[in-house]
Amino acid sequence: MVLVLALGDLHVPHRAADLPAKFKSMLVPGKIQHIICTGNLCIKEVHDYLKTLCPDLHITRGEYDEETKYPETKTLTIGQFKLGLCHGHQVVPWGDLDSLAMLQRQLDVDILVTGHTHQFTAYKHEGGVVINPGSATGAYSSITYDVNPSFVLMDIDGLRVVVYVYELIDGEVKVDKIDFKKTSSNSSAH
Amino acid sequence: MPPALLDPPLSKTSSVSSLISGTISQEPVPENRLFDDLRGLQWRINLGVLPSSSSSTSVDDLRRATANSRRRYASLRGRLLVDPHVPKDESSSPNLVMDNPLSQNPNSTWGRFFHNAELERMVDQDLSRLYPEHGNYFQTKGCQGILRRILLLWCLRHPDCGYRQGMHELLAPLLYVLQVDVERLAEVRKLYEDHFTDRFDGLFCQENDLSYSFDFKKSSDLTDDEIGSHGKGMKIKSLDELDPKIQTIVLLSDAYGVEGELGIVLSEKFIEHDAYCMFEALMNGAHGSVAMADFFSYSPVAGSHTGLPPVIEASAALYHLLSHVDSSLYSHLVDLGVEPQYFALRWLRVLFGREFSLDNLLIVWDEIFLSDNSKMEKHAEDNTDTCFRIFHSSRGAFISAIAVAMLLHIRSSLLATENPTTCLQRLLSFPENTNIKKLIEKAKSLQTLALSTEISSSTPALVEYNNKGKSVITRSVTTIACESGSPKTPKSLLPDNSYWEEKWRVVHSAEELKQDGVEKQVPSQKKRWTEKVKLSLKRTVSEPSSSTIKNGKKESKTSVKRSLLEDLSKELGSEEDIENLGCHETLCQQDNHSLAVEAEQQDDDSDVSNNYGADDRCLSRNTGSEENSFNLASPPNEFKDHENVSQKSSVGSNLSLDVINEISYSSPIDSPLPISDHPENNLSPVAGRNNDSTGNSATLSRNIKLNKFQWLWKFGRNNGELMSEKRGLASEAVKQTNKYNDQSNTASSSTAGDLCSSVNFNGDSADQNVMGTLKNIGQSMLEHIQVIEYAFQQECGQGTSLDNNTSKNVLVGKGQVTAMSALKELRKISNLLSEM
Repeated sequence: MVLVLALGDLHVPHRAADLPAKFKSMLVPGKIQHIICTGNLCIKEVHDYLKTLCPDLHITRGEYDEETKYPETKTLTIGQFKLGLCHGHQVVPWGDLDSLAMLQRQLDVDILVTGHTHQFTAYKHEGGVVINPGSATGAYSSITYDVNPSFVLMDIDGLRVVVYVYELIDGEVKVDKIDFKKTSSNSSAH
Repeated sequence: MPPALLDPPLSKTSSVSSLISGTISQEPVPENRLFDDLRGLQWRINLGVLPSSSSSTSVDDLRRATANSRRRYASLRGRLLVDPHVPKDESSSPNLVMDNPLSQNPNSTWGRFFHNAELERMVDQDLSRLYPEHGNYFQTKGCQGILRRILLLWCLRHPDCGYRQGMHELLAPLLYVLQVDVERLAEVRKLYEDHFTDRFDGLFCQENDLSYSFDFKKSSDLTDDEIGSHGKGMKIKSLDELDPKIQTIVLLSDAYGVEGELGIVLSEKFIEHDAYCMFEALMNGAHGSVAMADFFSYSPVAGSHTGLPPVIEASAALYHLLSHVDSSLYSHLVDLGVEPQYFALRWLRVLFGREFSLDNLLIVWDEIFLSDNSKMEKHAEDNTDTCFRIFHSSRGAFISAIAVAMLLHIRSSLLATENPTTCLQRLLSFPENTNIKKLIEKAKSLQTLALSTEISSSTPALVEYNNKGKSVITRSVTTIACESGSPKTPKSLLPDNSYWEEKWRVVHSAEELKQDGVEKQVPSQKKRWTEKVKLSLKRTVSEPSSSTIKNGKKESKTSVKRSLLEDLSKELGSEEDIENLGCHETLCQQDNHSLAVEAEQQDDDSDVSNNYGADDRCLSRNTGSEENSFNLASPPNEFKDHENVSQKSSVGSNLSLDVINEISYSSPIDSPLPISDHPENNLSPVAGRNNDSTGNSATLSRNIKLNKFQWLWKFGRNNGELMSEKRGLASEAVKQTNKYNDQSNTASSSTAGDLCSSVNFNGDSADQNVMGTLKNIGQSMLEHIQVIEYAFQQECGQGTSLDNNTSKNVLVGKGQVTAMSALKELRKISNLLSEM
């Protein structure tokens, strides 16, 4: 059993001061094994904070990131799943499922995590999943001002992924759960 | 012990027993190894997991109990071990806000899961280092998993205690013995395979549902019968031809008995279940007073009078027992500032698991579990305040007895330590090549002592006296026989004897008045003492002599002294002029005064110049305190003289002669010290009287012979001081002497302790100096002394042991040649003593 925290688009300090306090209290060290961050942190302090939650931190570069060493895309394998990571501003049109599915095929991943739209979305697509965790701080995006802070926690266990979606709506944390099972044929393809 | 004190463990176990329900309802009566070759089974019975297999309990009962305990564990495991991934009811996320991985609620599935995971991590840290030498079993994944689950469950079950380091080492041997049992079963099955399985297949395949795994079906005959009437068929047909032990095994592993497969007493499948039950019984004590879990808790058990954490209290109890058995070692450890919990914590918490190899540990545990853990009734009644809980059951007493036996085992090396660090090092690296049988034997004798002295813990002083008086009573017959047996008892000494006896009688009668309440214990203790002496005394010599000391103080004393003097004279005779010998012997028969003369003669023989120089010094030193300055002065002279000679370190027989001289002088001299001290104490039991004052008063009031005594005693002290001075350890030695003297004067300190300490004082100082050079010899000598140590309880063998000790020390100090010859001499001395 592996817990993977996926988040992005924090835009600290430009568009948000910090993570919401409720999120911060939930995110405690010791539970999470990996963090994948789609980008736009934007400063090193946020990076350091994420490191305190879990030392295994994977970040791709957003367009506002000060750190230029982050890669554009990144893939990693956790358990029997292959995860792809990209900020998503490169994929046009932004947030388009077909375009993202193309990237998913390109990277050859089961789960693709992107950001940039600041809206949580999760699609099951072609035997894989495409997830956008939204903005963890609720920062406004270039598309909309109406953003709820949200992030995603993936519980990867064998061939099964349970995606927990944490969304802060009106000061309350709402949790949603999406189950995803990888078919055995898919796994054998790897 | 008030019953209230025992409540906490009981209440604790009662919660458990509610779960165990019928399983341990029967009080475990330690059967004497019914299942000798099935240690795991035996332990389960002894620990109270299974009903004790007395005649009333049949195999069926065992099976039922087994099944019950396993069911209990299974339900516990199902309840407590959570897996958030297992969809429980999957009613479309009933409460996701609460049940999500980041939930802050500790009662949520995930909260519990993370809590368990944390515990598991902690447990794993220890488990990964468990018995690396037996890694091929303990480090296997399966074994680790079982251990982890059991520990986890136990911790969850007892959140107040939680997991503490060391618990895994308590559990591992339990699992191990179960595994061994199962392996033994497999062995037996292989041996008798055709015998059993054939028939099974032939007769019953069609009748029984085959979903049972055939692993454990043994006996076709049995299954046949059990289908009809449970278990009654054990005695029939071919089974009769088998060894009864094998029969038992077969019966215990029959899959078709009561409770079906779940009731198979020896089952590989249920090792985990069984191990958990054993572990729980061990930790909670199962209605007994010794619950291992207490040793891990930091808070005192409610109702404990000491207000200490149980393990600290148990450690204190350990020292208490030690002080009864070997007060010299005790005082040595106390002097060094070695608190008992420094090492006892480790010993007790894992039940000596770290001190012995696994094989030996199993043997030790055999004995520990065999001891009844139920609290003893007499303790429930008596109301003394400072009783140690650990003594409340025979198991607890045995545990502490083992610890003390271990201390005694490494006694010599402990006594040789001069600072707490090395002392602890030795305590914590217990020698591996221990004769476990001997240790257990010793522990058993100590156990009886612990159980009986337990009462004394509240009033040590009183009991000390009690012991003394009682042993005198018991010994009187023997003593008289001894006395009459020894033809050389000089007539001239008799007046003294009667005097001391009279004194003693007065004191004793006074004591008896005091001790009316405790009187009951006397017979048992009496018995114990005698047993002990028989057990421990290799040299029977010391016993009679000591007993004589006991009874007729003066008489025994003089006889010891006389023999020693004779010995000395022989030595002198062999080495120097033979005329001396005759002279000596006649002198010995005579008054004590002659000793002085004789001593002077010797002085003249050996070294004149030294003699006089020393003479002056001694005179100046002693005149202040003593009246008979002449008597006093000359023997110390002589002693000094010898010292000087030895200082020259002349090699060979000459030196050995000196050594012997030293011995023979110091021993009669030292031995009177406690003896004369004793009556003094008894006369005025007020604590804190100084030796000197006592001595002086004695000198003033007594006749010449008494003076002589005082002189001897003084001499002994001087002797000690001189020796220590010579060795450059004056300050410490003097300090020690003072201490011991103080001790002897306080009414509370045991007389035996005095003897020991005064004896060992010499040993210590010498040991410290020359430790390591002749360790082997020293150790063997100390072993003898150790044996004699037991006799110290009754003031036995002080002369002899003193001999040994002093001589040994001197031996260690000099070269090997000296050592060998002196050893021979020592043997002679003991022979002489035995003839006496």
